[in-house]
Amino acid sequence: MKRHNDLRRALRLLDISAFDVIKAVTAGVLALGSAIALGAVSAWLIARASQMPPVMMLSVATVGVRAFGVSRGLFRYLERLASHVVALKGMAALRTNLYDRLSRGNITAVARITRGDLVARVGSDVDAVGDVIVKAFIPALVAVVLSAASLLVVGLLYPPAALTLLFCMLLAGVLAPWLAQKAGRESEQQTAQARADISSLSHDLLTTPGPIVVSGAAPTMMTALEGHEQDLYRATDRNARLEGLSTAIFVFALVSSALLAALVAIPATAAGTLNPVTLTVVVLMPLAVFEIHQGLPAAALQLHTSSTAASRIMALLDAADENLNHDAVDPISQTGTRHLEAHNLTVGWPQKPVLSKVNVSVSPGETLAIVGPSGSGKSTLLMTLAGLIPPHFGTVTLDGGRIGPANQHDLAQHVAFIAEDAHVFDTTIFENLRAARGNLTHDEAYDALRQAGLSQWVEALPDGLETLLGPDGTTISGGERRRLLIARALCSSASILLLDEPAEHLDPHTADTLISDLMNSAANDKKRALVIATHRLTPIHSADTIIMLSQGRIDLTGTHDDLLLQSPTYQNALAAEGTIVQ
Amino acid sequence: MKPLDPDLLTQARPARGYVILTAALGFITSGFILAQALLIAAVLAPVVSQGAGLSDVRTPLIALACVVVARATLAGAQTRFAHRAAVKVIITLREQILNHVLQLGPRWLSAPTESGTRASDTHTLVTRGLDDLRPYFVNYLPQLLLTATVTPVALAVVFGLDLTSGLIIFFTLPLVPIFMILVGTLTQNSSQRRLVVMSRLGAQVLDLLAGLGTLRAFGREIGPAARVKKLGDAYTASTMRTLRVAFLSGMVLELLTTLSVALVAVAMGLRLVYGNVGLEAALAVIVLAPEVYLPLRQVGQHFHASTNGIAAWQAAKNILDLPVPPAGTAMPPNLASTRIVVTDLTVVSTERGLAAPDNLSVTAAPGTITALRGASGSGKTTTVLALLGLLTPTSGDVTLVQGEKSYPLSQLDTTALWKDTVWLSQRAALPPASIAEILNVAQHSPERLTQAFSASGLDAVIADLPNGLNTTVGHGGLGLSVGQRQRVQLAQAFLSDAQLVILDEPTAHLDAGTESTVIATIRSLADSGRTVIVIAHRTSLLNVADTIADVTSRPHTQVNA
Repeated sequence: MKRHNDLRRALRLLDISAFDVIKAVTAGVLALGSAIALGAVSAWLIARASQMPPVMMLSVATVGVRAFGVSRGLFRYLERLASHVVALKGMAALRTNLYDRLSRGNITAVARITRGDLVARVGSDVDAVGDVIVKAFIPALVAVVLSAASLLVVGLLYPPAALTLLFCMLLAGVLAPWLAQKAGRESEQQTAQARADISSLSHDLLTTPGPIVVSGAAPTMMTALEGHEQDLYRATDRNARLEGLSTAIFVFALVSSALLAALVAIPATAAGTLNPVTLTVVVLMPLAVFEIHQGLPAAALQLHTSSTAASRIMALLDAADENLNHDAVDPISQTGTRHLEAHNLTVGWPQKPVLSKVNVSVSPGETLAIVGPSGSGKSTLLMTLAGLIPPHFGTVTLDGGRIGPANQHDLAQHVAFIAEDAHVFDTTIFENLRAARGNLTHDEAYDALRQAGLSQWVEALPDGLETLLGPDGTTISGGERRRLLIARALCSSASILLLDEPAEHLDPHTADTLISDLMNSAANDKKRALVIATHRLTPIHSADTIIMLSQGRIDLTGTHDDLLLQSPTYQNALAAEGTIVQ
Repeated sequence: MKPLDPDLLTQARPARGYVILTAALGFITSGFILAQALLIAAVLAPVVSQGAGLSDVRTPLIALACVVVARATLAGAQTRFAHRAAVKVIITLREQILNHVLQLGPRWLSAPTESGTRASDTHTLVTRGLDDLRPYFVNYLPQLLLTATVTPVALAVVFGLDLTSGLIIFFTLPLVPIFMILVGTLTQNSSQRRLVVMSRLGAQVLDLLAGLGTLRAFGREIGPAARVKKLGDAYTASTMRTLRVAFLSGMVLELLTTLSVALVAVAMGLRLVYGNVGLEAALAVIVLAPEVYLPLRQVGQHFHASTNGIAAWQAAKNILDLPVPPAGTAMPPNLASTRIVVTDLTVVSTERGLAAPDNLSVTAAPGTITALRGASGSGKTTTVLALLGLLTPTSGDVTLVQGEKSYPLSQLDTTALWKDTVWLSQRAALPPASIAEILNVAQHSPERLTQAFSASGLDAVIADLPNGLNTTVGHGGLGLSVGQRQRVQLAQAFLSDAQLVILDEPTAHLDAGTESTVIATIRSLADSGRTVIVIAHRTSLLNVADTIADVTSRPHTQVNA
């Protein structure tokens, strides 16, 4: 039920106009209504014509049949356009609302989600919520209106026939869709495990095929795969029975509607209480009615899919609506040396502290390197230092004033966090750099690119700073992307830069060069402090302070020379990285 | 794009059975649809024209009740078999694709593509892509087959009942595809142009939203809100312009089919007035006429299901059609007395524009350690792949030399060679099993196990695990760190009796103490006569090698002749 509630809440964000919905439903009613009317009037025409009346008596019916023949296609076209207008406007509104609330809401909600997940929420999940309009709501509304109208017409002609029609409608319009939805939902749940197993096994086979064939493990893995496929098959087959039942009930309702109408109406005609022409209409019209119920099983499934998507969207928005703790922060001073300090800090996600008893301090002109294996809490620490997530315990201060999510927007001018998966916008190089600071000049941009080691690259480009980068920077290499993110960080007005794994996914040699370049440029720039989180020790030997994290604590603190002399752990870790052959 | 590719039927056996079954069910269904129309007419006509009662039409009513049950049963069976066949076809194709790409080899899989690597593309295909075949089999294909069964059979019967109606249907039927193709061609240019604009706008909206985290980190999130709204509105407008054209062909389909049914009814009515046709025939024709067009309309409705399904099959076919390099058949010589000679080995990657390795020559002899060293990307792992016959070199040879006899690797049965090989790779995942199962502990003596565990440093790992050797690792099991995983694999290598031992950076994640034990063990493996090849960066490992080969790469630009 919570999921349906989520769908309702998400639909409110679509800002749907009632007028647009009425337009779409009206067109839909006219389209399928034309089909029903065509069936009914044709039946009347044939039955009446068989009584050989003057042709004049039939002229209205013949015109009507032709008109309904044309209007159905026409209104169907208009209905499709009108319902897509509702859905598309709704999706655009939902995206705008999402942006609005996520950009104003609690920063932690945005910081906590990966970029890939965010894209899925605002992309396919929003589409799925919009689809519910076109594929479920409008068809359902049209079906309700026309079912009622058909029952009314048949009821006026011969009331008992309306009862048999109602019975068939309940089968085709309620029972069959319910069964189809049940089958779809259960099939999804019951095959989830098998699908996950198949996905991970085939992932192993595809990413490390060499070792697998050489060690002779391929047949074993294929056998394991076959086992999961059997599970998948059995679960699908179980639910295919329900799907089959749903179809059978629909067809049963469709054909038996004419049979049942004939059974109840023929005695009345034989007794002379029901006109034979009306009898023909009462028997043949139902055959045209059930087209309105045909889309309902798919609509029921769509409702399920859309609810799931809506739950994910609402979870994100709920996180963004979490109250900010304004009491935990102080106003940011306009002047100050920009000295960032953490005192007895415990950091982590809610209910999951990863790192505790952290004391660090950094001022412009200094470099601080935070090293540790993945999962040791480096990123979480940096995000806490940047005020993106609240600390579990302890405080982070800038020039003595406490900082946190509640004053992060103002803080961002002084302390900037550059995520490992920071986004490269689908626009020019210059606009990408300007994302860090609005009043950036071309000269400053060139300067930042030079410091990031990209000046030769950008000068070789025919359009220079105006070069378009393509969606998510896919047109540039991994190394160029990393350097561009660094250049953007350098364009920021912040005097303290926190960089998370700035060389991730690069080969060790390129990664080490990139980080040592960055350390060197920071050493020359006395106005800035640089904090880098990395898992490699080799390139950070020039850092003023190195902090090694291990087992949820700061394991070691010191300069490279101190640590090399005093700590066997540091020596081993450094040796383990090996000498890179140049 | 063919709506039904015959190759799909030969490739996936369940598809063939399903198509035959669906066609058969279609024929039977068409029989019942005819019976239904004729029976309804037979029930109504005597009542309307002769004032007959319920008992006079009892026989056709009972028959009609049978048709109701039969049609419902057939339709239910059809749906059920459709889901079954779809999942069977997906399973079959997945297995065939995975088997085929394993034969195509690691090199083919690791090649980069626009969206990642061939491995990631293939993974998307075998998990999500193939699922598009389900709506294709369940919704589209049955209707396509019904156009070949119900439509002609019903048309023939209409002809039999009434020539005029038959002619109307006969001449309007081909208009449907003709007009749809006509509309499609006329609008193709403009719709393609609009589609480009539309997807571009859609991508821009998503791009801004995806960058929200980045914008907020810089405190720059406020400005773009207006742009999100503007782009969203532009996207809606551009999509509607596209749809206005795209829905035209659907309208033509609806218009022609409904109008034809209406024309048949009007023609029937007018001729009934003059007594040119009987009531029963007329009733049967107007019940039957919509059924002639119904499959055609459904095919149009499920057109999307067809394009996605056909695209998935095409992607599968593109992989399955790739020729597998011919495998050698000759038995390899006994490796214990065989040198592996690499001469001028060059492997060019056109995707990366690199020759790596470039002109490498090295010999690995039994009883020695051969080290490959070089910068990352220089082709060390590629050299190992070539040594194992997992890729065909661009130039140069790998030869097995026993005494005076030479065996070119390309002619040998590599499977036999692999049986006598153990390879510790940097990237290999552990299978989902317990450590005891992975290491096959039942096969080895306790002394040998103890020795291998201490030599690899695995003993310390096991001591820390909750269930010791019985801990399940790999997917679905306990996650091991890189270093722990490496020790499991080292123990596996040390427990193996294989003659050829290939170790890719065997000490990369080990502490200094374990490293020296591991290096000593590797040395003793060589001293006991094994052929050991290591990829090494660290001097400690290079120091114990008998031969060191420097692997280098060179930029390679494609020269088009």
